[in-house]
Amino acid sequence: MAGSDVHAIVVDRLSKSYGDLLAVNDVSFTVNAGEVFAFLGPNGAGKSTTVEIIETIRRPTSGTVTVLGMDVAKHKSEVVRRIGVLPQGFSSFDRITVRETLRYYAGVFGCRPDIDALMDLTELRDKARARFITLSGGLKQRVGIAVALVNNPDVVFLDEPTTGLDPHARRQVWQVLKGLKARGKTIFLTTHSMEEAELLADTVAIISKGRIVAIDSPARLTEEHGEQLRLTLRPADAAVLGLIHRMGFPLAHTVDDGVYVSVHSPDDVRRILSAIREGGLEPLSGLDVRKPNLEEVFLKLTGEPLFHSDHGGVP
Amino acid sequence: MSPRIIFATLVVRIRSLYRERSAMFFTFAFPIILVLVFGTIFTRTDCMNYDLPVQDHSNSEASARLIEGLTTDNAFNVIPVPTDADPVQYAREHGFNLLLVIPRNYQGLHNLRVNKRDGMAWAPLRYIYDPSSTSVVNRIQLMSLMVAAINQRYTGTTAFITLIPESILPGTYRFIEFFVPGIIAMAIMTSALSNALNMNAELRQKGILRKLAATPITRTDWLASSVLYQIILSIISTVSILLISYFVFDVNLHIGVWLPLIIVVEVMAFVGFGMLLTPLAKEAESAAAVGNAFLFPMMFLSGTFFPIEMMPGYLQTFAKFLPLYYVNEALRATMIFDDSGATLRNASITGAFAAVAFVAGMIKTRWGDGGV
Repeated sequence: MAGSDVHAIVVDRLSKSYGDLLAVNDVSFTVNAGEVFAFLGPNGAGKSTTVEIIETIRRPTSGTVTVLGMDVAKHKSEVVRRIGVLPQGFSSFDRITVRETLRYYAGVFGCRPDIDALMDLTELRDKARARFITLSGGLKQRVGIAVALVNNPDVVFLDEPTTGLDPHARRQVWQVLKGLKARGKTIFLTTHSMEEAELLADTVAIISKGRIVAIDSPARLTEEHGEQLRLTLRPADAAVLGLIHRMGFPLAHTVDDGVYVSVHSPDDVRRILSAIREGGLEPLSGLDVRKPNLEEVFLKLTGEPLFHSDHGGVP
Repeated sequence: MSPRIIFATLVVRIRSLYRERSAMFFTFAFPIILVLVFGTIFTRTDCMNYDLPVQDHSNSEASARLIEGLTTDNAFNVIPVPTDADPVQYAREHGFNLLLVIPRNYQGLHNLRVNKRDGMAWAPLRYIYDPSSTSVVNRIQLMSLMVAAINQRYTGTTAFITLIPESILPGTYRFIEFFVPGIIAMAIMTSALSNALNMNAELRQKGILRKLAATPITRTDWLASSVLYQIILSIISTVSILLISYFVFDVNLHIGVWLPLIIVVEVMAFVGFGMLLTPLAKEAESAAAVGNAFLFPMMFLSGTFFPIEMMPGYLQTFAKFLPLYYVNEALRATMIFDDSGATLRNASITGAFAAVAFVAGMIKTRWGDGGV
């Protein structure tokens, strides 16, 4: 493949329209071979459409996408044999067992994978004879990952692999993903979990309103875009909130049991604490100062929080 | 098109069906139950035997001959009613919708007419009936026929006009022979349309079609496996219905090369209609409602359960726009009449429906951009 040592995916000036709606607008980026690439975006930002074009499910209106050097619009049958896809909320045939499901997809791909090894990798061996309908959400997701790997793909697309899972199941899936990365697979991860992106991703791309607004490593994104500190004061006292507003922080607001305010420097923190003490207000029961994280970068760049589904923008 | 992928998908579909008891029941057992129930009901009409309560106040030789006449050919099973009972009250209390009363002077009137040749003498036989009962009309008609025959015998002459039945069919056929082809057509239609509609709607809602769209399986592979799956189910269902019909009702039906051809054409037609209806089922839960809205008018207006000649003229015209009507006609033409011309004509019209529905269904079943 062209540039196989460097780029697993090349998206060049990609656009996709649905009637008058421009869902993806002149998007370009590359994904390096062997890296975990996290793709973030709020609802209706064009995230799913972009991913589905790369996965060969949709056709672009303009622009090109190459996967492993092959144009996805022209070489669908070759591309699908070398990619693995875990769709969001993976589901399969209810009354087919885990082993039969893997065998079926192996039959579809015309390959003979080591089913037991796949089940070991995804920790499903003891569920081999369980029917899909009887599995928990976490187990279903792991079946989905195993299915995505059945053809030993070079590039694996994982759409919301941990959404809806409990913390334990989520960590198990992360372990599997780390294992894939260690095997040199290129992973294209679509997620709403900033923790997941920060933990696993080498590169993060943020899409908003059909355009890529930032792309870099998580550390460099927070360094570049997250210039503010996050200060949380407890309890959520209205007098404290009013005082902070009057000090020139109009975006301060209450969150859960505390007052939340973004500040530019440690000096701002000291000023606020002094003002509370000198104003004779109720003593603070808690104080938390955090460095900026990816979530704040996302909020700053897109102006929107992340939600737990992404089908709003696609007809 | 990949035979390997088609086979793998076929195996998954058959396994899924085998493991879902309700689907197995409605696919295979339900049509057989229909055949057994309707066959039992309507086959009995061929040797109908009604209970007829008779209150005989005469209790004479003449009334005994009258009662004997009513039981000719087992037409009626006469049940004696006590003479001291009020006949209306008795009929109500015992749930009889028809009760015959022979008057006390029946023997005397009989003697006047038969022995003394008094042509003015006649015997009034009162019958008590329930007009709200749907079956009483048939009983009264039968009783009138039996009484007319007895009167005829009293005249001592042979009836001048005698009806001689002659069937258009080569053998003796009963309702069940007409019913079985209709049930076969209905079972194939229900299975093909429901499976195409429900399965596509469910797999689309669950995102399985989206997953499959990113694999080497193509729309052609998917549709080929759907049609093959339906053909297999239809063959099993048809063979089961025929076996039960032969063993239980000893049906006399002609099984020839047309039967499998009609099955294949019908499967193509209704898988096509299923694919066409799938976009109307926004969710898997609404697929059954969409399917029933299509299936029920088809079932009842296409001559499956009763001849369309029983319907008003405008419904008969409407029936001729329904594909199931032509499937019924084709199956009856080959299985009952062994009439290749009529079979070919009706099978061709079904084939035209199949071609249009299947091609349109394929176009509607988008695989990939926006279709999953």
